[in-house]
Amino acid sequence: MTSFTPYTYFQCPCTESSLPTHRLSDSSPPAENESSDDERTFDPRAPRANYSLYPLEHLFYCEDCHQIRCPRCVLDEIVTWYCPNCLFEVPSSTVKAEGNRCTRSCFQCPICIAPLSVSSVEAPPSGLGAEIATQSGPFVLNCGYCSWSSKEIGIQFEKPNGIFGQLAKVKNGGGPILTAKERRKDREDRKRDFSGSSVSEIREETPEIDVPREPLDPNEKLDAESQFSNLRAFYQSQLADASPVSALGFTGDYGYGSPGALSRIMGLYTGSTAFDKKAKSKSGAMREARDALEGLQITPSSDEEALVKLHAEGWHTTSSCSQRAEFPNSQAQFIDDLRPVAYLLRTKRSKRCKTCRHILSKPESKVQTTRFRIRLVALNYIPSISLKPLSPPTSSSSSSSLLQPMRPVQFLLTFKNPLFDSVKVTLATPTKTPGRFASKVTVLCPQFEVGANTDAWEEALRENGSRSSTSEKRRTKADFLEGQHQAEAGKVWERGRNWVSVVVEVVPASLSFQGPEFLKTEERRQGEGDKEVREDEDVLEIPVFVRVEWEADSAHDEAGGLGASKEKEGKEKRELAYWCVLGVGRIARD
Amino acid sequence: MSKKPVKGEYIETDTGNKVSRRSQIIGTTNIILGGKTVIQAEVIIRGDLLRTYTSSNPGEKQGNPVAVAIGRYCFFSRGCELRPPGKLYKGQFSHYPLKIADHVFIGPGSIIEAALIGSHVNIGANCVVGKFAIIKDYVRILDGTVVPPNMVIPSFSIVAGRPGRVVGEIAEGEVDGMDLREVYREVRN
Ligand SMILES: [Zn+2]
Ligand SMILES: [Zn+2]
Ligand SMILES: [Zn+2]
Ligand SMILES: [Zn+2]
Repeated sequence: MTSFTPYTYFQCPCTESSLPTHRLSDSSPPAENESSDDERTFDPRAPRANYSLYPLEHLFYCEDCHQIRCPRCVLDEIVTWYCPNCLFEVPSSTVKAEGNRCTRSCFQCPICIAPLSVSSVEAPPSGLGAEIATQSGPFVLNCGYCSWSSKEIGIQFEKPNGIFGQLAKVKNGGGPILTAKERRKDREDRKRDFSGSSVSEIREETPEIDVPREPLDPNEKLDAESQFSNLRAFYQSQLADASPVSALGFTGDYGYGSPGALSRIMGLYTGSTAFDKKAKSKSGAMREARDALEGLQITPSSDEEALVKLHAEGWHTTSSCSQRAEFPNSQAQFIDDLRPVAYLLRTKRSKRCKTCRHILSKPESKVQTTRFRIRLVALNYIPSISLKPLSPPTSSSSSSSLLQPMRPVQFLLTFKNPLFDSVKVTLATPTKTPGRFASKVTVLCPQFEVGANTDAWEEALRENGSRSSTSEKRRTKADFLEGQHQAEAGKVWERGRNWVSVVVEVVPASLSFQGPEFLKTEERRQGEGDKEVREDEDVLEIPVFVRVEWEADSAHDEAGGLGASKEKEGKEKRELAYWCVLGVGRIARD
Repeated sequence: MSKKPVKGEYIETDTGNKVSRRSQIIGTTNIILGGKTVIQAEVIIRGDLLRTYTSSNPGEKQGNPVAVAIGRYCFFSRGCELRPPGKLYKGQFSHYPLKIADHVFIGPGSIIEAALIGSHVNIGANCVVGKFAIIKDYVRILDGTVVPPNMVIPSFSIVAGRPGRVVGEIAEGEVDGMDLREVYREVRN
């Protein structure tokens, strides 16, 4: 059996449409709330609940809206881009120009994603003077986790730095990759040879390089980049041919953005104007790409190749789904089609309230610092809730850590106040937990006050007085063992400077589908059809509605700007209400 | 934490370190403890794996060589092992120092061969941190993770898997909870 750690999740109000605030105003113990109100109970098992429950640590608090904010109701703003491997900052202009990957020498293994390191192929120099000798190339990228090496795909480097630039020029197997400019030149040269006519007037003036050109093959296999550039060139020429005059507003480029083109496109739908006629006659002249020179790739040939390869080398040479996902633009079907993956950049982000746009969190922009300029986390504003069994574990753990069905257990709920004002806390729980297996829940003391937090005190207590708090605890424990300290309705169990513990009594439901009819809830009778305990249905979760009220120094948030309705003596009333879910434990199956 | 350790489990040093009598600390003269650090039973710290590669830097003073440097408020759980990483460099094999900053928690059974672990780092149970890994501040490594050699883990990362990868970010509110002073105070003889 896996162990279970009790948890508390808070619901962000941004997803809650119906807060049953009225139910709490009458301050009646939750036991008196009848089932007519139960439909308003927050159901932690509802499919949508997953998206609104967070640990307290993940929540913010907006000082202007006086409200909890979760990751779904904040806006992220990028402060800094950086490489997670070399930790160099990348200016956002570079990100726009060169993409969101590190362009230094940071690569991940295409097989296992572990970082690759550069090493020399040559044996390290040894003997006299080895220390001052520098490593000479060629260099390869090695994986320290699965021992993959770029040698396996026939890639080596001349220098140990600037790997990104070097890799961009080498195909798998060692052949050169042409840059966009080189490709265009190459294509036009080939076209000229092919058609026999000169198009040199369009060509850019680049010095001739005597590259031995392969004979033109209309079925040539192209890589993704050259296919794209061939296609692009083909369609550009088609568009240029289709509109030799600028009457339709076409320019040399795609020209879709021009008003003329737009009206032509609109004309297709409305079927009117003179443009229509013209356009129709023109569109007849357009054709699709015919061969590799125009960017057409017929897949069956490569499929046949793949089949032959599969036959010869087997399945283990094919790449996995996740490996292939790193190369969306090429069909990296085989392991030797994979290439080292440049690290994706990571960001530091600040967060704003979606409602009022005030900043909730702002990190220092430098990559190496971990400080925050602003950090308004809910942890510093709303009481934390912790849960533990009331009885010492020695007496109950003998059987198991599971909750025994139909046997009452008591838990201690501890509220700790982070505010420098004392707060009044009101709790409400449904008498029965929602779901097919309804456990009974009773909070023995649903209303109490929690003292203020004080920094100076805290330090003093920590340094020398920690003994007193432990003795205090020991006394109550002793009382408990003697049976004198009984959990009493309406009374706080234990109280500290800025914390209060109250007792919750739970009668866990039975997970069996047999049992007397009167014990079954409506939901359970309906769900009778499927008699399996679903995943995590045995976890006892208690929805708790928490309302916190306090009087804040309005001077406190003068810096924060506008506050709520200000009252006399610089105090103002504050109130915050939200749902929580307590994960208590797993119920034993009988 | 179910069984209370027998009386006198820990030896407390002048700087408040609590070192279990049942831990194995080898090469103590090459180990620096910043203070208020807890070392539980069966923990192995290999201070004997010293750097043998002679540094060409003449400015380096010839004091006591350091193999493992540990900051304040660190917690080494039962059965974890700290080993300075080693590699072949210019034809010579040598170990290099393992440096650990403050508030670092290492779970039971984990093996650490990192070059550097920053402050407020939480490493779970049965992890392997590969040779020369660099872990920056505020990082959580989940149970059973294998951090590959030479990996750099930036601040505010949550790492899991074999090999380890960044699976999430530490939330702004989690930062305070990574302080280990409270954990230290709760350790009693
Ligand atoms: Zn929200
Ligand atoms: Zn990088
Ligand atoms: Zn690998
Ligand atoms: Zn706001």
